[in-house]
Amino acid sequence: MTTNDKIDLFKQLKKAEYAQPKKPVLIDVARGIYLTIDGVGPPGGDEFAAKVGALYAMAYTIKMTRKFDGRQDYVIGKLEGQWWSDRGPDLKNIPQEEWRWKLMIRTPDIVGEGEVQEAAKALLRKGKAPEVEQVRLEAIAEGPCVQMLHVGPYEREWETLSQMLAFAGEQGCEPHGRHHEIYLSDPRRVPPQRLKTILRMPVKEIAEKNPAGP
Amino acid sequence: MKRSTLKDYKQRMLRVLLYIQQHLDEQTPLEDLARTAAFSPYHFHRIFRGMLGESVKEHIRRLRLERAAMRLKHSDMPITRVAFEAGYESHEAFTRAFKAMRGVTPSEFRSRNGTYPQLKSLSQVHFREGGAIDDFEPMTPGGEPMEVKIERLGPMRVAFIRHIGPYDQCGGAWEKLCAHLGKKGLLGPDTAYIGLCHDDPDVTPANKVRYDACCTVSDDFAPQGEVGVTVIDGGDYARTTHFGPFDKLNETYARLMGEWLPRSGRECRSAPCLEFYLTDPENTDPEDYITDIYAPLEPE
Repeated sequence: MTTNDKIDLFKQLKKAEYAQPKKPVLIDVARGIYLTIDGVGPPGGDEFAAKVGALYAMAYTIKMTRKFDGRQDYVIGKLEGQWWSDRGPDLKNIPQEEWRWKLMIRTPDIVGEGEVQEAAKALLRKGKAPEVEQVRLEAIAEGPCVQMLHVGPYEREWETLSQMLAFAGEQGCEPHGRHHEIYLSDPRRVPPQRLKTILRMPVKEIAEKNPAGP
Repeated sequence: MKRSTLKDYKQRMLRVLLYIQQHLDEQTPLEDLARTAAFSPYHFHRIFRGMLGESVKEHIRRLRLERAAMRLKHSDMPITRVAFEAGYESHEAFTRAFKAMRGVTPSEFRSRNGTYPQLKSLSQVHFREGGAIDDFEPMTPGGEPMEVKIERLGPMRVAFIRHIGPYDQCGGAWEKLCAHLGKKGLLGPDTAYIGLCHDDPDVTPANKVRYDACCTVSDDFAPQGEVGVTVIDGGDYARTTHFGPFDKLNETYARLMGEWLPRSGRECRSAPCLEFYLTDPENTDPEDYITDIYAPLEPE
C-alpha cells in the first residue's frame, strides 16, 4: 500500500498536536476538523460501542467513496475522545452513567458536509446502525494544552494526569475545558498494561484573583 | 472421534521424517509428504516447521549436508560427486554451503583428523544411514504460553477479490474491495476484514500465491465485476492473536501448529486458515498490527 500521495494528518502532526512525550509538555492545538458523535454513559457500554462503530463506519464510507470516485485520498486518523460531565470537567467523583463524551476522528478539511450526508444515506440504505445519522463534521480549537503519553490501563490515567496537573501549575496554568484522549492502541486485544493513550489537558493561565478550583 | 494426542502427532511426524531420510535424493512434493502421515496439505508445512523448528526445505538441506560430511570422512567418494549427491550443481556452491555449516571447506574437513560436533538441530533429528531414526523431540513451548481460544463460527458470506502474487502485495485487492463496498454503504461496524490464503507463502512461489481479500456481507449482496461472493465454512476454529508485522505471521503460525495443535487433542480441518485484520495497516505502525489467526478444526 503506498501512502505517499495520501494526506496523513497524524503523521504530519506527530511532532506537534500528536506528540507522545514521556514527560508533560505544553503545546498549542490549532483549529482542526473532526468527524464527531456525542454520547453519555460508561466507556465500553452499549451506547459507547454502538457510537464507536457508527463513527468508524462513517469515516471508512466517506474515505472509500472518495477513493472509488478517484478523488484525493487520505489516511483515517486515530480515535479520540473528549470527556466531561454536566457537573464540570473533573470526573473523579462522578458516576460513569453521567459521563459525557464526544468521540472524534481527525479528518482533512477537503471532506465536505455533502459527503457526510451521502455516507450516512448509503449506510442507512443498507440497514446499518441508525447512529450514523448523528455523526457530523465539527471544527474544534483547544489552544494551549498540556500533553503526555499514558502507557497502561485507562483506570490508571490519574497517575499521568497528576503529573500533568503539577506541570501545568509550574507553568502558571490550570485545567480549562474538556479532558481529551487520543487512543493509539486497540483495547480489543492489547493487554491493559500495554495500552498507549495520548492525554491532553487544555489549560489557561491562572488568573490572580481566582484561587485554583476544588 | 478419538482425540489426537501429542504422541499420535509425534508418531505421524516420525513417519514423515523416516520417509524423508529414505528418499533423500528425491524431490518429494509437500502434498505427498503430508499424505504419508495423513496431514492436511493446508497445514502440514506449518505443523512440520512448528514441531521441528525448521522448514522441510531446510531440514532436507541439512540432512544432505550431514550425509555429505559422513561420506567425506568415511569414504573415498570424489568431492564433486559428494557435492552432486547433496543436491549441488557446482563444487563452489557446495563448498560455500558446507563451509557455512561446518566452518571448514569439504577438503579441509576430509583431510583433518578429529571429530566434529553434530550440526545444531532443535529437534535432534540427524542423518542416519538407512534412515533408521526411531524418535525425535518436538519443539517444546518456551517463553510466554500461547493464548489460544476455541471459537465456533457460523458460516460467513463474504465479498472478495482474489490476488495472485506475492502475499505482501495484496494491498491492491483490499483497496479495490473496500472502495467498491464503501461506496455502496456496506462497510459497517459489523464488517469483518478477512484474509484467506489458499497457499502458504513460505512454500509456494511468490508469484503463485492465491489470496482472497474478504469482507463479510449480507445475503442480498450480489457479485459484480471483479468482486465475487463466497461462503466461508463455519465450525470450530482455534483463534490466536498475532501482534506485529505481517512478515512475522509465519512464526505465530508455527507456534499455533507446532506447539499448540499437537497438545490440543484436536485435528485441523482441511481448509485454509483465516486472518482477521483488527487494525488498519494504513494508519498503524507495523509493530502495532493486530491480526487474529483462525485455524479450522475438525469437529470433536
